[in-house]
Amino acid sequence: MMIETHDLTRRFNGNLAVDRLTIDVREGEVFGFLGPNGAGKTTTVRMLACLIRPTSGTARINGYELGRDNQQIRRICGILTETPGLYDKLSAQANLLYFAQLYDVENPEAQVRKYLQMLGLWDKRDEPVGTFSKGMRQKVAIARALIHEPRLLFLDEPTAALDPESAKTVRDFIEELKGEKRTIFLCTHNLDEAERLCDRIGVIRQRIIAVDTPDGLRRSLFGRQTEVQLAEVTPAIVDAVSGLEFVAHVKQDGNRLRISLADPDAQNPVLVEQLVRAGAKVQYVSEVKHSLEDVYLTLVREEAR
Amino acid sequence: MKKALIVFRKEWREILQNKLILYTILVPPILLAIIPLVMMYFMRNEPVDPEDLAMYSQFVAALPWLSPEEVVMYVLLNQFVLMFLMMPVVIPVTIASFSIIGEKEQRSLEPLLATPIRVTELLAGKTLAAVVPALLTTWVAFGIFLVGARFLATPALLRALLSPMWWLAFFVMAPLFCILSVAIGVVISSRVNDTRVAQQIGGLIVLPVMALAMLQTFGKVLYTTQTFALACLVLAVLDVLVIRMGSSLFQRETILTRWK
Ligand SMILES: Nc1ncnc2c1ncn2[C@@H]1O[C@H](COP(=O)(O)OP(=O)(O)O)[C@@H](O)[C@H]1O
Ligand SMILES: [Mg+2]
Repeated sequence: MMIETHDLTRRFNGNLAVDRLTIDVREGEVFGFLGPNGAGKTTTVRMLACLIRPTSGTARINGYELGRDNQQIRRICGILTETPGLYDKLSAQANLLYFAQLYDVENPEAQVRKYLQMLGLWDKRDEPVGTFSKGMRQKVAIARALIHEPRLLFLDEPTAALDPESAKTVRDFIEELKGEKRTIFLCTHNLDEAERLCDRIGVIRQRIIAVDTPDGLRRSLFGRQTEVQLAEVTPAIVDAVSGLEFVAHVKQDGNRLRISLADPDAQNPVLVEQLVRAGAKVQYVSEVKHSLEDVYLTLVREEAR
Repeated sequence: MKKALIVFRKEWREILQNKLILYTILVPPILLAIIPLVMMYFMRNEPVDPEDLAMYSQFVAALPWLSPEEVVMYVLLNQFVLMFLMMPVVIPVTIASFSIIGEKEQRSLEPLLATPIRVTELLAGKTLAAVVPALLTTWVAFGIFLVGARFLATPALLRALLSPMWWLAFFVMAPLFCILSVAIGVVISSRVNDTRVAQQIGGLIVLPVMALAMLQTFGKVLYTTQTFALACLVLAVLDVLVIRMGSSLFQRETILTRWK
């Protein structure tokens, strides 16, 4: 496990920001941390990166104990904070070199060069980053977070402040990083981003609401559903389908039926057979895909109740 | 402490990009070194104003090895040399608050504190960056002044100017002032978000120093090595107090959650 937390809690002047967070993040996975504004994402990252102390609870990062082995933890973590936090008057190269030295990187110049080239900023290395566009600044900040080749990378809303085009560049870059056997902890409230990049997602709102793969989250919330489109839906057909013992729920919408069942791979053939036997003319059979947005909104609303 | 040097170098890169800060560091020593020399040059052959003599009559008695003219000159020059001590008071607080408030404005403290640097190393680097230029300019200004005085002052006056009091002032008191000044800069920067406001508040700490200098100008006290030694003691105690206060504010948790 790269991250294991147990009942991690943080209060600010008595107000709960993070409440008894217990999660496991595996080595090499991209873990999405999804939640509305003020849900406690940044606070969690700050605790895990040894920037602020938990009020209670424990955590281990790569086996190191939070609070006891903080220096070791800092060495293996990289963090992209919510704002890039660059030194505007200094060049891209000077910004990165400073952090490379602070992280005791072996050959700082070469490492800085590697990342500036990788991000297409080598030609602009001597220009003050204050003159850069938002997207370029974000790239420099990501390079800074990676400069010491951290095994665990925290990305706090990496695309939130960017225009769609820069956001795409940054997202593509994160996707490239996935291949590198690095654990990424990605805070976001962008659902497409989470869906595209994350192996698993934790939904948080002070407390953790659910943790699963994007597909798993869908399934656990809505079950699995098959949609069939018929030439015509008659009451007899609806009765025949509802009568099947593996069908949990049937909903009619015009000439379409939405059927909830546990194991579509095994049960869809039986379902179709039954439909045909009841006289239905089957036009289409497909799986209902809820968007992650549906999942997320349902979860967060349920939690608010 | 290798990290402190890394911080020091980065601070200097930033300071060199900022003309205003550079002027704050460079202009006062040049003025302070040149004005007393010009004064000495013009006063050399002037008769002493009897009123001045009357005001400093007790000093004439205290400094029997100087002629009355030399006493008046000595007191006036002492004023200026005391003014030199404004540099270790003003420059460090200016640089320190520029540096820390700059980090706050750019929001660079969070990624910085995520690195394995120890906060003491970070503070040491920032302190060095503020203290080194302040001491260098103070010493260089004093050096220029002494070289000029060697040509312009009478031998007795020069000897008086080379008294241990000034060595104490420049090599003990000035560093102590620097530390006080940096620590006050840290405390101010934790509360204020505007470099100019910080500089103004920081500027207030020269007032006590100026007030003490004034006492001598008006013939109330004559500073001696003993008074300076006492002042050094008081400063050392103050330093310990403000360093404690500054370093308790300069903790990861405090910086990220309590600073304004
Ligand atoms: N330094 C702080 N002082 C007081 N309250 C804070 C502080 N930082 C965060 N909070 C509060 O903690 C909660 C969680 O904030 P945060 O972790 O920033 O959420 P997110 O990153 O998910 O938007 C919010 O209610 C916020 O107001
Ligand atoms: Mg946040």
